[in-house]
Amino acid sequence: MRLPTQELFEKYQNNLYAVAFNVCKNAEDAEDVVQDTFIQYYSFKKQFDNEQHIRAWLIRVAINKAKNMNRTFWRKNKMSLEDYMETLTFETPESGELFEAAMNLPEKYRIVIHLFYFEDYTIHEIAKILKLSEGNVKVRLSRARSLLREKLQEEWENDE
Amino acid sequence: MTNKEKYKQAFSVLHTSGRISLEEERMIVMRKKARFQAAAAAVAVCLAFTGGGSIAYAADLGGVQRKIQLWVHGDQTDADIVYNASGSYDLWYEGTDGTREELHGGGIAIEEDGTERPLTEAEIMDHLNQPTVDYREDGSIWVYYYDQKTDITDRFKDGVCYVKVSNGETTLYMTILYQGGWCTSPHKYESPDSFS
Repeated sequence: MRLPTQELFEKYQNNLYAVAFNVCKNAEDAEDVVQDTFIQYYSFKKQFDNEQHIRAWLIRVAINKAKNMNRTFWRKNKMSLEDYMETLTFETPESGELFEAAMNLPEKYRIVIHLFYFEDYTIHEIAKILKLSEGNVKVRLSRARSLLREKLQEEWENDE
Repeated sequence: MTNKEKYKQAFSVLHTSGRISLEEERMIVMRKKARFQAAAAAVAVCLAFTGGGSIAYAADLGGVQRKIQLWVHGDQTDADIVYNASGSYDLWYEGTDGTREELHGGGIAIEEDGTERPLTEAEIMDHLNQPTVDYREDGSIWVYYYDQKTDITDRFKDGVCYVKVSNGETTLYMTILYQGGWCTSPHKYESPDSFS
């Protein structure tokens, strides 16, 4: 099955942007990733089992494209994370601290944390999306939680 | 609040700027670009002939050097090729007038899941063995494929020429736009709209 590109765009553009930003740490690059991901969906005419299959595929493609973007020599002049954060309006100061702490984790931890806490994926699903073993995902998740706990202390509960 | 709720609240500030365009017209243009990239395995991008010049740098790149048989304008010739890890290649052969000719190119293949990889040696060879179209100075237009040379000068109708070429094993259907590129398929003549 397939769903119209525009419908998926309306529904998932911000999710893909968040996951791409998580990898790129750059707004312009993340927007390029979102656009390229939907163009890839539009172009390849791949068939899917259901909407969750499409969503997981879009996220996987966006992560891969964002990683490619990081490897590209010709990168845009980047706005620093700190400068970009100043343009964002966080609901509470704690939210801003959590955002900064998560974005300062190593990339391999950031992606796993994001898919687990933001996209509500299970360890099994994250392993499939990232093509990792479940054990590897568990280790990354555990280390990422420890680092967040260390940084945020009581603001990040021990939920292992 | 749970960690999950806190995380969602923190990252819910990320939104696209609204500048992303998914208009049908733009998507079609971008799809063609994507298709071109996807087809890079068969159609290596950035192909350029250069004449003369130093070739010393290629050896410094540490690529894999091989001797191959190359079809150039219908004639088979020996060539030296260096495959670089980046998916590019550097190739040298002796032209019909005895001069040393160089050919450089390369590209990437984009997999269905968005990952990029350098072209393999086999993919580069596939590319080098594709038919070519040559616009000669005398105004004639020729298609070359292995040992075949076909004069297609008078075969254009409304700027499009359809030619079937075969090397005995593989048959390819070529759609050629006058001064506008070409497309090959082992199955059928592709519509000019599909790649122009």
